[in-house]
Amino acid sequence: MTEDRSPIFQCRDVTVRYGHIVALSDVGAVFERGMIHAVVGQNGAGKTTFARVLAGLVRPASGELEIDGRPLPGGNVNDARKAGVELVHQSFALPPSFSVAEAMQFGADGGGMFTKGGLEKRWQPHLDALDVRVQAKQRIRDLPVETQQGVEIARALVSEAKLLILDEPTAVLSPEGAEKLFERVRRLKERGVTVILILHKIREVLAIADTVTVLRGGRLVDGPLPCAEIDANRLAELIIGPAAARNLKSEDKAPLTRAAALTHVEARETASSRAPVLDMRDVSTRPDLEGPALDKVNLAIRSGEIVGVAGVEGNGQRTLVRAISALSDIVEGQIAINGGDVTNVPLVSRRTAGLRVIPFERNVEGLSLTSSLWENWSACGLLQTKLLSAIKPSQIRKHCDAALKQWDVRYSNVGQRAGSLSGGNAQKVILSREMDEDARLILAAQPTRGLDIGATSFVWDSMRKARGRGCGLLFISSDLDEIFDISDRVIVMLSGRIVAEFHPPYDIAAVGAAMTGVLR
Amino acid sequence: MEDIVIAIFRSGTPLIYVALAGVIAQRAGIWHLGLEGLMIAGACATILGIVLTHSIWIALLGAIIICVLGSVLFWFVVEKLKANQIIAGLGLTGLGLGGTALAVQSIFGTQAAVSAPFGLPRIGSAFGAFGSLSILVSIMPIVVLAVWMMLRRTRFGLRLSASGEHPFAARGVGVNPSVMRLVALMLGGVLCALAGAELAAGSLQIFAQNMTAGRGFMGFAAVIFGASHPIGATFAALFFALVGALGIRAQLMFGDRIPHDLLLALPYIATVLGVWFSTQLRGGTKANNSFGELRDQ
Repeated sequence: MTEDRSPIFQCRDVTVRYGHIVALSDVGAVFERGMIHAVVGQNGAGKTTFARVLAGLVRPASGELEIDGRPLPGGNVNDARKAGVELVHQSFALPPSFSVAEAMQFGADGGGMFTKGGLEKRWQPHLDALDVRVQAKQRIRDLPVETQQGVEIARALVSEAKLLILDEPTAVLSPEGAEKLFERVRRLKERGVTVILILHKIREVLAIADTVTVLRGGRLVDGPLPCAEIDANRLAELIIGPAAARNLKSEDKAPLTRAAALTHVEARETASSRAPVLDMRDVSTRPDLEGPALDKVNLAIRSGEIVGVAGVEGNGQRTLVRAISALSDIVEGQIAINGGDVTNVPLVSRRTAGLRVIPFERNVEGLSLTSSLWENWSACGLLQTKLLSAIKPSQIRKHCDAALKQWDVRYSNVGQRAGSLSGGNAQKVILSREMDEDARLILAAQPTRGLDIGATSFVWDSMRKARGRGCGLLFISSDLDEIFDISDRVIVMLSGRIVAEFHPPYDIAAVGAAMTGVLR
Repeated sequence: MEDIVIAIFRSGTPLIYVALAGVIAQRAGIWHLGLEGLMIAGACATILGIVLTHSIWIALLGAIIICVLGSVLFWFVVEKLKANQIIAGLGLTGLGLGGTALAVQSIFGTQAAVSAPFGLPRIGSAFGAFGSLSILVSIMPIVVLAVWMMLRRTRFGLRLSASGEHPFAARGVGVNPSVMRLVALMLGGVLCALAGAELAAGSLQIFAQNMTAGRGFMGFAAVIFGASHPIGATFAALFFALVGALGIRAQLMFGDRIPHDLLLALPYIATVLGVWFSTQLRGGTKANNSFGELRDQ
């Protein structure tokens, strides 16, 4: 490792616009060589854009970049790679049908023909040297996410990378996987590689980084600040802004700032005596493209209870939601909603029984972006009317207007397209539709994904209110902190099975172990 | 037996060339439904070229230029004007079918078939009965192998496949997927020209309106049947040719007992069954045209 302490990378006045939206505005920063730098911010703060500017994927409208003392023209990946900058994307940025060796070769220099064996021989040592435990001939799509990420990092290091940028690398990892990743990052640092980590969890920043740079709303708030001199609360305030920090309820702030050990317990009325609103017995499905099949899943959710589902993505969470909402065939077992058997009845009847779904993909499954707000809002209600019975749009518009106002959706009129709303507002439209008075069982699948902290807090609040009304909620999230914060109990899914159940106070290490199959 | 093999090669070779064009496009992320149009343009250009210039080589070159230009047009419409691939491809097919009819009409003033004084060079009588096959049949295995090598054994091929399967990954290593698609379509244009030339000048030396009769679409079916793999698509095309040859044979043998139309439909029925069968055996690259690939935040 060199003693050279000149900056590896600096930028001045970098501005990026996507159409009318300013994603980055006059950002300037200096990153020192041989360190681990974190870049943090909320969703929409411009972190990913910043990473892509560095990697040459996005051309800044103005500003200067300098790598290793030499100016770098923006917007050209090849130039950036030649200068030694490599970006590892958020997740899954390798062609799934490629073998590991092919994935290495496709990013490497040097053309010519190769043979399969030669390719494997060329890349296996590289993988071994980086401690990525994988056979070069395996296909990307057959690898678990952690390994895929290892392969991606290895791919980024095929040339002499000086600056490695990891964009939200922990988003797809279990806590244990994240720790392994950090170990790998530390070893890269020892090899003299400068690493920039795009993160959004304060706990992770403080655990790994040497410096932290905070972005908010596309502007540089501060940084790079040495991590040794900043505490979690101060960092949280920098991220969400002083005004928002004051308005935030203390209980919602907790998951933002909390360190690894959890002490937060809330005494809640036990719901165990009440009747279950969902009762699944030995439910199995067939495997499909979305993930593994459910394998004899037993799950009861009682009225007035939030059951959190933890698990690495792709372990059957989607199939669970699809099975309950009649989108997957049930091979064996029974599902009862609100006391009545619904195993073989379509979604309409299940909705009549009180089932409501906040789906995974807000913009695909949740809303029709090209339809108006009132059409989206009324669609589910209309399922209950007869096929040929007349509807009165004016009436629906009026009801929709009232409901959306009540849910504090920001919109100009109910005829506007759903696609014109921001993420948080779009989610509120779904909430207003799915969290109505007749709801008995609500499946909330990643309801806060991609939302900023204000909207996230609103969603949490709505879920607590629904629980107060006696609904049972199934809450799926990839963010363990929020699961722990609002769930009355937590189940862990692994390969289509429920492998563990936890009650507060939650033991993050035990949950993490269950998620990765260490604990049986 | 020998004549069946010859028949398979004769009718299979154009299918193979057009299927290879489809494979390259498919790997680069384009569902190439314009194959039919390019193929008939190649057939027409070859015959007209022979008639007008009396040189098979100038005719072939002309066919290649026409098909490459057609491919560039397709690329421009799909990539630059952001048109739907399927619609644009069908449009290209329509352009090929209509354009060739127009060309014949305007040059010869008639809708009738145009025959050329000679066709592609033959392999030669040294190969016995196979001698009647054209040189395009004899170089076909080499072309298949070359396309396979290019797609599966070079970095260029990996980058081309990545452009179709995961454009964002391609962009991440500094590859422009759009340019890769242009290259893929232009290569495909060359292959379509060869397919058309073999069809029109391989054994027949004639150009008739609509003479491709759905072979371009069958080639596309071979792409799907062969899981976008050059070797797989080649065997799929040979299979379709085999069914076709057997159909003709059956027609001669049972022509009076089985409806004529049913026998004629055999290759097409085999195509449908073949595609269904291949979806049962998943594998290979599935081109993925992800929308909003460069999603931000």
